[in-house]
Amino acid sequence: MLAWLVRRLAASIATVLAVVTLTFFLIHLAHGTPCGPSDGPPVPPEVCAGLRRQFGLDQPLIVQYGRYLRALLHGEFGVSFAQHRPVSAAFRDAMPNTLVLAGAALLVDFAVGLALGVYQAARARRFGDIALGNAALFLNSMPTFWLGLVLMLVFGLWLHWLPVGGMNDPARCPRVDTLDCLADLLRHLVLPALTLGLVGAAGTARYQRAATLDVIGQDYVRTARAKGLRERRVWLHHILRNALLPFITLVGLAFPFLLTGAVLVEWVFAWPGMGWLSVNAVLSRDYPMVTAAALVASVMVALGNLLADVLYVVADPRIGVRGEASSVG
Amino acid sequence: MFGAMRTAHAPARLTARLVGGLLLALVGGCARRGGCTGNYCGTLLIAATGEPDVLIPPVSELASTRDVVDQVFLKLADLGPSGNTIGDEDFQPVLAQRWEWAGPVTLVFHLDPRARWQDGRPVRAADVEFTYHVYTDSLVNSPFRSALRRVSAVTARDSLTAVFRFREPYPEMFFDAVYQVRILPSHLLRSIPRDQWRTAAFGRAPVGDGPYRFIRWKAGESLELAADSTFFLGRPHVRRVIWRFTPSLPVAVTQVLAGDADAVEVLVTPDNVKRVQADSALATYPYKGGAYGYLGFNLAAPGDSTQDHPLFGERDLRRALVMAVVFGDLAKVPPGPMSQLWWIWDPETRQLPHDSAQAAHLLTRLGWVDSAGQGVRQRAGQRLAFHVLVPTTSAARRVYARLLQETFRAMGVDVALDEVDYPLFVERAHTGRFDALVNVWTTDPTPSSGVPQTWTQAGLGRSNYQRYANPAFDSLVDRAISAPTREPARRLWRRAIELLNQDAPAVFLFAPQNIAALPRRFANVTIRPDSWLALLRTWRVPADRLTDRDRVER
Repeated sequence: MLAWLVRRLAASIATVLAVVTLTFFLIHLAHGTPCGPSDGPPVPPEVCAGLRRQFGLDQPLIVQYGRYLRALLHGEFGVSFAQHRPVSAAFRDAMPNTLVLAGAALLVDFAVGLALGVYQAARARRFGDIALGNAALFLNSMPTFWLGLVLMLVFGLWLHWLPVGGMNDPARCPRVDTLDCLADLLRHLVLPALTLGLVGAAGTARYQRAATLDVIGQDYVRTARAKGLRERRVWLHHILRNALLPFITLVGLAFPFLLTGAVLVEWVFAWPGMGWLSVNAVLSRDYPMVTAAALVASVMVALGNLLADVLYVVADPRIGVRGEASSVG
Repeated sequence: MFGAMRTAHAPARLTARLVGGLLLALVGGCARRGGCTGNYCGTLLIAATGEPDVLIPPVSELASTRDVVDQVFLKLADLGPSGNTIGDEDFQPVLAQRWEWAGPVTLVFHLDPRARWQDGRPVRAADVEFTYHVYTDSLVNSPFRSALRRVSAVTARDSLTAVFRFREPYPEMFFDAVYQVRILPSHLLRSIPRDQWRTAAFGRAPVGDGPYRFIRWKAGESLELAADSTFFLGRPHVRRVIWRFTPSLPVAVTQVLAGDADAVEVLVTPDNVKRVQADSALATYPYKGGAYGYLGFNLAAPGDSTQDHPLFGERDLRRALVMAVVFGDLAKVPPGPMSQLWWIWDPETRQLPHDSAQAAHLLTRLGWVDSAGQGVRQRAGQRLAFHVLVPTTSAARRVYARLLQETFRAMGVDVALDEVDYPLFVERAHTGRFDALVNVWTTDPTPSSGVPQTWTQAGLGRSNYQRYANPAFDSLVDRAISAPTREPARRLWRRAIELLNQDAPAVFLFAPQNIAALPRRFANVTIRPDSWLALLRTWRVPADRLTDRDRVER
C-alpha cells in the first residue's frame, strides 16, 4: 500500500509540474500585453517598459521560467501584475470564498442528488421515477449561468426575498463576526449554491439511480430478502452501502470543482472567489496569477483522484491497490 | 440528578438557540431600526465594475482608483464647474487656500493651515515638494509623469508655501500643476523605496488628508471609506462610502435594481436607462461623457510602418468610406476626435457629408467597381476588402463593428471582423497589425494632452495607432495648445479638427453622454463630468429619508 501511495504521489507531482510548465509557457507565448488599463487613458509606452523591467518580463523566457521555479520551491507564487500584491495573498482572500460556495453547492448536489437517485431506483419505471427523471434531465441540460439568471430574476428582482450578488451586505456585515452576519452570508449563499448544486444534483441523481438499480438486482440482495430481513435493513445494509461505492468516485472528481467549477456562477453572482480571480487574470494577462491558478487547480485534480482511489480501497477491500479485484471467497 | 440532566441538555439547548437565532436572522433579513440619526448618516453603496489596483495616486491610472483616492487625498486646487482648463480663474481652492503668480513661470501656493493628515500631523509645503519628486521620479514610473514635464522645480518656501517653477509659460500651466497631482504624506512614504511603491503596504491602507478616511478593503469584494468628521473644509454629510465590486455592468445594474447597491456610475445602454427609470426609488443623472469611439484606418501597411497601407494609404478612398457611414440615432456622433467633456466640443465643426450615394459615386470614380457581380468592388484585380479589429470585452464596440460591416457590405466593401480579447487588441493596435480598428479613448478634461498623444506625429509609436501624420494639423494643434485664452484657442482647435476630418483617418462614431443612477433619497447630487464623485462631500441624505442602510452602525 505504501509503495503504491508513493508511486501515485510521484505521478501526481510530475503531472502538476507538467501543467505548471505548460501553462507558464502558453500564457507567456500568448499574444497580448499585460500593460494597459481598460477603463482609463492609454498608459505611456515608457511606463509599460518600466513595468516590464520591474516584473522581469524583459528577460529571456527560459530565465523567467527558472526564476519562477526557484520561487515556487520557496513557496512563492510571485506578485500579481494587476493587483500589485503577492499572488498568495490574493489566493488567501479568494480561496475560502470559493470553498464556502463550492462546499454549499456540493452539499445541495449530493444531498438532493443521492436522495432523488435512491428514491427513483426504489420506484423504478413508475410515475415518480419517470417524472423526476425528466425533471432531472431538464435541469441537467440547463446552462448553469442561465439557471442563475432565472433564480436571480425570480427571487432577487421580483420577489425581493434574496440578495442577487456578492457574499455579504458590506454596509451591514463587512465581516462575519456575529450571528446576524452569518445569516447574512447564508442569505447571499442561497442563490449561487442552488444554481451550482441543482444542476449537479440532476446528474448525481441519474448516476445514483443507475448504481442503486444495479445493486438491487444482485444475488446478495435477493438472498437478504429471502432470509427474511426487514426491508429497511436490506436497503440500509445491503443496497445503499454497495450502491454508494461509485459515489466515492464522484466525491473525488468533485474535489477540483471546489476551486475551478464555479467560474460562471461566481461571475453572475459577483462571488469573489477563485473563478472570478482566474478569469480576470487571463483577461489582463496577469501571468503569475494565471500560472498559480493552474498550479492550484492541477494540485486539486491530482489530490481528488488520489483521494478517490484511496477511498475506494478503504471502502471496498476487494479492490486491490493495483486496481485488480482480489479473490473473494 | 436534576442538575446532571440540566447539564446534559445544555448543549442541545444551546444548539437549538443558535439554530433558532440563525433562522430568525435569515427570515428577518436586515430589517432593523435605531442607529445613526440626523444629517450626517447617509451611506452610499456603489456597485462598481472596476477595482482599484493600489491606492497610491501616482502609480495607478485606473479610473476606479481615481474615484477612491479623490476622497482620501487632496489636490492643491481642482477644476471648477465650467471645466475650463486654461488659466487659473476657473479653478477652486482645495488644499491651497490661495495662490499667486510671482512672474510668468512661477506659481506660489499658500496651503490651508487647517489641513491635517488623518494621523493628526499637519499638511506642509514639504509634502508638496516630496509629492512632485515622487510623480517625476523615473523609479516610481508614474503614468502622470509627462503631465509635469514642463515643471522645472517645486520647492517649499516655508512650511505653508510651495513654489512651482515652469520651464516656459503656457496657457495650461495651472492645470498641469494641480489636476493630476494628489499631495502625499511625506512622513509616511519617504522610507518606501521608490521602485516598490506599487507593492507598498500603504497602497492597501492609505492615510490621506481628504474628506474621507480609509476603513477597509476586502479585495474582490468591497472597499469602505468613512467621513472624516474633522475635515477642515466641512464634514461630509454622507457618512460612509462603500464600493462593492462586480464583474460586469449588467451585474452592477441588477444589484442597484434589487436594492443590494445604491449607485452605478454609468448605465451605458438605453435598456439599462429604461430599467432604472422604471424604478420609482431611483433617479438618473445625465452628465457629459469623457470618451469617444471611432473606426480608425491604419494608414501604414500592417506590421510595416514604412509602407503605406494598400487601401487606406489613399486619402480619397478613406473619404469615401467615411461618407458611406450614415448614422442613425444610436448615440451622439462627435464632430471629430473629441469627447463631450472637452470645451472644444463644437457641433458646427465641418465634417465630410455622411451620404451613401456620394460615397458610392466617389468609389466608382476611383475605379472601385463590382465588375464581377459578386457584391464586392474591385480595382485592378484587388478586392475592396479589409479586416476590422475589435475587442470582445466591449459590447458597444462589437455592435458598432457589426453595423459598420453591414453598412460597408451594402456599399460593395467586404469587411471581416477580428474579434480578440482586450490585451491582444492593445498589442495589435500598438504594433500596427490591423487594417482598421474600433477604438475608444477615455479623455481627461483637456484636448491638449489627448489630441497630440493620439492624432499627431508626437503620438507615433504611442497612441496614434492609425499612424495619421499631417504636419499642418500638428502645427495647428501646437498653436491651439499655446493660445493664451480660450477663444483664439477654440478657433485654432476647430481649424485643426476640420483639417483632420478632411483627411479622413477615421469615422468618428460616438461620444456618449453618461448617465448615473442613484436612489432618490440622496439630495444635493452634483456630478462633475470629469470625475463623477469629485463633489461627493456635498451630497447628503436628509434625515427624513434615511434607510436602514444609512442608519446602521458598524
